[in-house]
Amino acid sequence: MSAGQIEHLWSDVVDAPTRALLARRKVPPFAGSRPAIVAVDLYDLVYDGGPRPVRELIESYPASCGEYAWNALPPTIELYKRARSRGVPIVHVTYDTRAETDPRGIHPTNRQRRQKDLSLYRIKEELAPVEGELVVYKKRASAFFGTPLAAFLNELGADCLMIVGESTSGCVRSSVVEAWSLGYPVAVVAECVYDRHPLTQKTALFDLHLKYATVMTLEQACARL
Amino acid sequence: MRDFEDYCWRDLVDDEVRHIYSPYVRNRSVGKRPALLVIHGAIPDAAQRLIDEFRRRKLPVVHSGASVGDEPSCPRPCESAFFSTDLERVLKRVGARSLVVCGAPTSGAVRASAVEGKSFGYKVALAEEAVADETAFLHKMALFDMAHKYADVMSLEELLAQL
Repeated sequence: MSAGQIEHLWSDVVDAPTRALLARRKVPPFAGSRPAIVAVDLYDLVYDGGPRPVRELIESYPASCGEYAWNALPPTIELYKRARSRGVPIVHVTYDTRAETDPRGIHPTNRQRRQKDLSLYRIKEELAPVEGELVVYKKRASAFFGTPLAAFLNELGADCLMIVGESTSGCVRSSVVEAWSLGYPVAVVAECVYDRHPLTQKTALFDLHLKYATVMTLEQACARL
Repeated sequence: MRDFEDYCWRDLVDDEVRHIYSPYVRNRSVGKRPALLVIHGAIPDAAQRLIDEFRRRKLPVVHSGASVGDEPSCPRPCESAFFSTDLERVLKRVGARSLVVCGAPTSGAVRASAVEGKSFGYKVALAEEAVADETAFLHKMALFDMAHKYADVMSLEELLAQL
């Protein structure tokens, strides 16, 4: 993938000296013939308050990604449709809400206001797993940390991963770093990952592409499925 | 201690960003019984200062990379100092219950190690001067993300005052 096709994704946020690092670094092509999709934290909580600017939602819905979450919904539905028609497995990841798995004061991030309504960690209806698809319940940022995800992917025979979900700078990023560490070629589908602000979204996309993954468009991703 | 947002990333974030990330603002501190995790790269002078201060106070120093004297080291095959290493065992052996991470690069091994350290249940603290990166932008944004979600970021003097 040439940087020219995707550099518009971050060029208005990432400064020129930092973008120049990409020109000097060799980003390996996304390789592999048996992809799996890993969908991180696409639960109701991040759609809370509707498709509105995050700044208007943050007081009432501190975990919402507002309009960014809703904008990513149609492309993610399209990616799932394509994957399912091609027999590409989708592994869904959400938060383990069982009370007995929540030790006092230990949480995935240091956000101070916590969600009390645990039913909001249900995967969004439009993106819900269909029969036969696997779900991983996690307690930490990375979808791999303390979960059977690595074993599931081995059992599915996946040799490369496409990662979608939220937040790009948080759980998506941690999951990409761990997937890369485990040896997987990793693609991040730009339209299907989101964050709370363009600053964190675009910085994370750039940094992941620089170091660990191939950032690609939905069209490019669908062509690989 | 300075205001939560009054660190090196202040020129990159506007009022809207500060508002959106306000749910993460909190008091910061170094945890109990800290070990210093040194991520070996192009480490800044302030990281050496932290190493000296930990040694002077007889607090454990653990190296991710080449070993230094008789201090424990865990060579790192990937990005996080925890991934495929015996760092967890070493931290138990030295009696660490929290971490201070220093070294380079901020947006690479330092960040991956801080995030995984938190995942393992350690409170993680960083001094902004004791980590460094290839560009100021990557350094500042990695510290912004870590400060809000995963680690307690402060100045070198603020951190040293808590040891």
